[in-house]
Parts: sequence; C-alpha cells; structure tokens
Amino acid sequence: MRHRIAVAAFVLVIVPIASIGQALAPGADKTPVAKKTTAASKTWNPPRTPWGEPDLQGIWDFATITPMERPKELAGKEVLTSEEAADFERRTLEQRNPDRRDGGSQADVGRAYNQFWWDYGTKVIGTKRTSLVVDPPDGRIPPLTPEGQKRAEARTVARQRPAFGPEDRNLWERCIMGGNTGPPMTPGPYNNFVQLFQTRGSVVIFNEMINDARVVPLDGRPHLPPNIRQWRGDSRGRWEGNTLVVDTTNFTDEPNFRGASAKLHVVERFTRVAADVLLYEFTVTDALTWTKPWSAAIPMSKTEGPIFEYACHEGNYGMVNILTGARAQDKAAEETAKKESK
Amino acid sequence: MSKKLSGLVASAGLLLALAPKTLLAHHAFAAEFDANKPIKLEGVVTKMEWINPHAWIHIEVKRPTGTVEKWMIEGGTPNTLLRRGFTKNSLVPGTKIVVDGYQAKDGSLKGNGRDLTFPDGRKLFMGSSGTGAPKDGKDPTESRR
Amino acid sequence: MAAILLAVVGPAAGQVYKAPRTANGKPDLNGIWQALGTAHWDIEGHAARPGPVVALGAVGAVPAGLGVVEGGQIPYQPWAAEKKKENSKNWLTADPEIKCYLPGVPRATYLPFPFQIVQTPKHVLMTYEFASASRIIYIDRPDFESPIDTWMGHSRGRWEGETLVVDVTGFNGQTWFDRAGNFHSDALHVVERYTAISRDALRYEVTIEDPKVFTRPWKMSMPLYRRLDKNVQLLEFKCVEFVEELIYGHLRKKTSKGKEDPK
Repeated sequence: MRHRIAVAAFVLVIVPIASIGQALAPGADKTPVAKKTTAASKTWNPPRTPWGEPDLQGIWDFATITPMERPKELAGKEVLTSEEAADFERRTLEQRNPDRRDGGSQADVGRAYNQFWWDYGTKVIGTKRTSLVVDPPDGRIPPLTPEGQKRAEARTVARQRPAFGPEDRNLWERCIMGGNTGPPMTPGPYNNFVQLFQTRGSVVIFNEMINDARVVPLDGRPHLPPNIRQWRGDSRGRWEGNTLVVDTTNFTDEPNFRGASAKLHVVERFTRVAADVLLYEFTVTDALTWTKPWSAAIPMSKTEGPIFEYACHEGNYGMVNILTGARAQDKAAEETAKKESK
Repeated sequence: MSKKLSGLVASAGLLLALAPKTLLAHHAFAAEFDANKPIKLEGVVTKMEWINPHAWIHIEVKRPTGTVEKWMIEGGTPNTLLRRGFTKNSLVPGTKIVVDGYQAKDGSLKGNGRDLTFPDGRKLFMGSSGTGAPKDGKDPTESRR
Repeated sequence: MAAILLAVVGPAAGQVYKAPRTANGKPDLNGIWQALGTAHWDIEGHAARPGPVVALGAVGAVPAGLGVVEGGQIPYQPWAAEKKKENSKNWLTADPEIKCYLPGVPRATYLPFPFQIVQTPKHVLMTYEFASASRIIYIDRPDFESPIDTWMGHSRGRWEGETLVVDVTGFNGQTWFDRAGNFHSDALHVVERYTAISRDALRYEVTIEDPKVFTRPWKMSMPLYRRLDKNVQLLEFKCVEFVEELIYGHLRKKTSKGKEDPK
C-alpha cells in the first residue's frame, strides 16, 4: 500500500526525530519540542502555498500499531530494530485479530465484529520508537492527580453499570465527538483520517469522525472569552519556521481526550517532513488531571482518500440498544430480587 | 534478542497495553448484546444500511417451524469497506449469509455480526470488492477515485 | 467614493461585479456567510402563523416570508402534495432538524446559522455551524462518483466565470427543505450557483430536480450575506447533547436525573 511505503521513507530522511524525547528544555513549556523539530524540518524544504506558507494540504492517515504508551515489558527500550519491529507487528496483529474467537463469550462480544471492518494500521511508526509518547522520556503518560483519579473512578462506575442515561456513555458513543479526534488526535481502530485545507489567514483541520471541521485562524486574534466552552475547544494558529503551531483552550468540563478537565490546554505542531509525511506532535497540559504535561509524536502518511461522511447521531441505533438493554437488565435484577425476598 | 522480545510481546499484559483507549468504545457492544445469548442464523439479506457509526444488515430467517423472523445485524463502520472499493450495491438483496453472534440484551431480534460469512464459509467483505472490474481494489496502486 | 459605493450596493445595471481573485485566479468566496429571511421556516411565501408549542408564545410562532421559490409554489405530484401536508401536521415529531440530524443541501445554506466557505484550487469546503455539518465540493472532478448515499450528498463543482456551480447528488432522501414539511426523495438532484454580487453579498440560486416527487424541476434563490462582526468565527452547535432527552428520555432509568446523577 502506497502510504505504508511512505512511512518507511520517513525513516531514511529524519534520523534526528528519534531523539525528540530528550529535546525538552525546562521551562519552555509552550513549545517543548520546537528545537529538535525545527532542526529536522530544515533538512527538507516543503512545497509552499502561493502566499509562502509550507503546504500541509491533503488527506493524512494517522493509523499505527505503535502504542500510545511504551509497554511495561519494553521499559527502557526506546527504539526497535527492523527485525524486532516486524516481529512486534506480526504478534500484535495476531493478538489483536478480531476474527479469533477464543477467550470466552465476554471477550468474544467485546471484539465486536470481523477484521474486515477494522483499520487500525499494520505498521509501527517509521522511527520504530516503542511509544507515541515522547515525554516523559519513559514513554508513559504521567500519573493522574488525585482529582483526576477520582474522576476516572467515577467514569468507570458509570460505564460499568447498566446505563442510567446517555451521559453514562462516552462522547463517541453519544455521537458528539469522534474517538480519535480529540483534540489532540490519537490513532484509533478505524477512520484515522484528517484532511487539511489552507487559505490566506486560516488552516482547517477536518477530521473524518465526526465530520468535524476545526477552523484555525492565523491572524493573531485572541481566544474566545473564558465563559464560552466548546467540545473541540477553541484553536488559534501561528507559524514557527516551517511548523504550524495550534494552541487550543476553552474546553468543556468533559473534553474528548482521556478524561481531561476543562483546564486542558493542547498545543499541536504540524510539520511536513517529507512529501508523504506530516509529523504531528502534541503537548497536553492539565494540572487537574495529570501531574505534569506530556507529549507525543505521530507521523501521518499522505493518502488518496477521499474522506467519507461519518454521520453518527443520525444512525445511532446503538445508543437505543444500550439503554433498552440496561432497562432489561434492571428489570431482570428487580425480578430476581422479588423472587429472593419471597 | 528477537526470541526474548517474542516472549515479552506474547504476554497478555501487552495486549491490554496495546489496546488504544478508543477500542474501549467497543465495549459498547458488551452493553448492547448478551454474551449469554449466542445466536447462529442463516438468512437472506433484505437490505443493508450503509450508515455510521455502525452498518446494519437486515435479514429474513426462516425457522424450521416455518415462521420468518426479521433480524437486524450490527457491523462496523462502512467507511472501511468503501475505502476498499465496496459500494452501497455490494451486498445484493437476496444474498444468503450466515450470522454468528450474540442477541440484544432486551431480547429483540437484533444481534451483532460477530462473524459474517457466506454459506460456503467465506467471510463477507474480505479483500477488495472482487468484482473483477477496474477499481475493485485488487491493484493497490490503482487510484481509488 | 465611487468605489466604496460600488462595494456596498453592487455594480450598476449591465455591469457584472468581479470579486477579488484567489491565488489561482478564481473569484474569492472565502468567508463566513449567512442567509436572512425565513426560508428555514417555509421556502414558499407565507403569512405569519402560530407555532405548535404554546409555552413558547411569540418566540415559537412562525414569522411571515415572501418565499424563495421562483413562481411561488413547489410543483408537487399529487401524492407528494398530500405527504407535504402530513409532514407539516406532524412537524414536531417528523422534522429531522428538530432531532439535530444533518440538514442536507440546500437547507444547510439557509438555516439561521452561519457557515464558512474555505476555498482551495481542488476543493471547496463548506462547514456549517448547525450540527457541525460539512461537505467537500470536489472541483473539476465530473467523473468522481460516490459509492454511497449520504445526508449532505456528493458535491462536484466547477467555475463558470464569476459563478461557482455545484452539482449535488447521492442524497439519502431523509432531509427536508424547511420546517414546513417540504421534502424530497433519494432521487434529489441539486444544482447550486454561488455568485458574488458585491464585496459582502452572494446571490445563491438552486435548481431542484426529483422525478419521484415533483412534476418538473424548480428553482429557489436568495442573497447570502457576509458576517461582518469583529473576530467573527463559527461557534459550536453540535446539538446532539440538546436532543438526547428528547430522543432517549423514555429509556432513562426512572430514578435518574441525568447529569446530576453520581458518576
């Protein structure tokens, strides 16, 4: 597949990126990975829009089987060799194969459906780094704060009980925001596609799920006032050399990202490092959720597309089924209780 | 080195670590469908809804008693299939399929298509659209548009 | 002075206004636009009338409108005229807009919400504040077919002088034209024409064709106005969270109050 080959090409061009994890300068929390990225992108001159900005346009695929966090078993191992990567890919695909039927009926239901519906990638990222997280250097997301832990526990309680109402389910099941969209974007089980458009004065980040067009003004206007909160936050952009930096604030109290709080602050960086590769990096800061900021880097591969419509709410039979199933469970539990009390 | 890594990768803990947070969304299926109500149906497709977040295949199942039941079977996102060359006309009404899955918790005639096959055992929607026509996905270098 | 007057009121009769050009020489339609008027209530001319929700009083009543349908009336086939009446009577339960479903084209254009045109040489993205509806118009790709039917249709565009012409097919037939129950089938074929008439206004013309529903093609047209507010941007109106109680409330656990429940 063409875009998979492009990821391999990325390896040949961008050797310095592997050391991004060590690039953090203390105190430079606004642009923590700036220095190494700029150094890398200087080695390749991107095509430009007619008004002189690097051209980031096109459809980009951010599927990968490289995990967000370094597996505990690979602690201390930052990068895989080619053989290890091939082995890792093969074993991951084997273990993850949804067409396997072992593990008992609960596991079976959870795997949901055949392999042919999924598209979570078949390759590790071109650098063969063992995690998408580049900071902290151990490739693991920092611990939750006590407040973050409390909220995580409450979410687990809501998720595991027969749903009281739609609010017990996550934003994707409610068809409000897509599972891989964030912001920031993270690879998911399918439809890992984003299309970028550029005009004078703005860049538009258009995610397939759920048809979300994030218009990012580049004219230096301020963020929305603090009382206007949005599911996708409020984004503002600027260029730093060849890198588009997107700063997003004003999230609701339930951002679409790993249990974050309304204090979430996302800084994303887009750098075209090769004809077919757009390097996507992000740093998330949320003092109410994580004990320190953390960052990840995901190379995205150019792909033909097109982006398809992902109308979600309109076809959300699943939410009805979740709730009717919950009410059926409640009823069964009531009847059991009645019988036992006799 | 490779052997040691194989051993590490094979552990169950790794599988959990590898599961992206978003895979948990498919535990929604555990909320919709009952692991204690497995179903195996052979039916005739009446229509397929090529919709998100999940496609639904409608089938008619003739029971040995003679009654005809109308079932709805849940699949995944059709977008993945569209990218491999399938279209809204790919699953022709009248086609016989076999559904191996689990029934809805509320007991209605809905199930998840845990494994969807043709009666001869071939999986539905494998590979490309396979019609042999141009742009059927068999040539990965061929433009999809 | 003449130039300023021209920008505000448009060219004199006989002159064609020429919008500034984008880098690739096309009329620049970039910006945030919005329709005025009451087409979103009823695209045919109508007097004001009460709404179905008594508690909303004047806020829920339907304001009058001159109508945007050329010739005044939509040429329904007899069965469709009856269906429209039924839709209108059942508006509260039948209108997809109330459920926050994607509005389709052309309804998305004239909803009482802004939308943004993002114009590049190969694609024009139109993104609508209502329900974050979006569509990509593929420029100069007349052979690009869609494999599937969708809510927002499949849009193929081209430039004809000052006009962006957009051909939209592949609808799933589940959208309406307005809140008055005017509807179509999945055979709907829409041709839109966007033409700048001054710096801050477009002329929007739409030809509707649907042999399953209408006796002949028909047209609607209206101006679209540039939103001139300082720092204007599309805000979020995902709206799904506003309709969950409406759609799923009957399935809620009886003792549950929703967001107030302990999580």
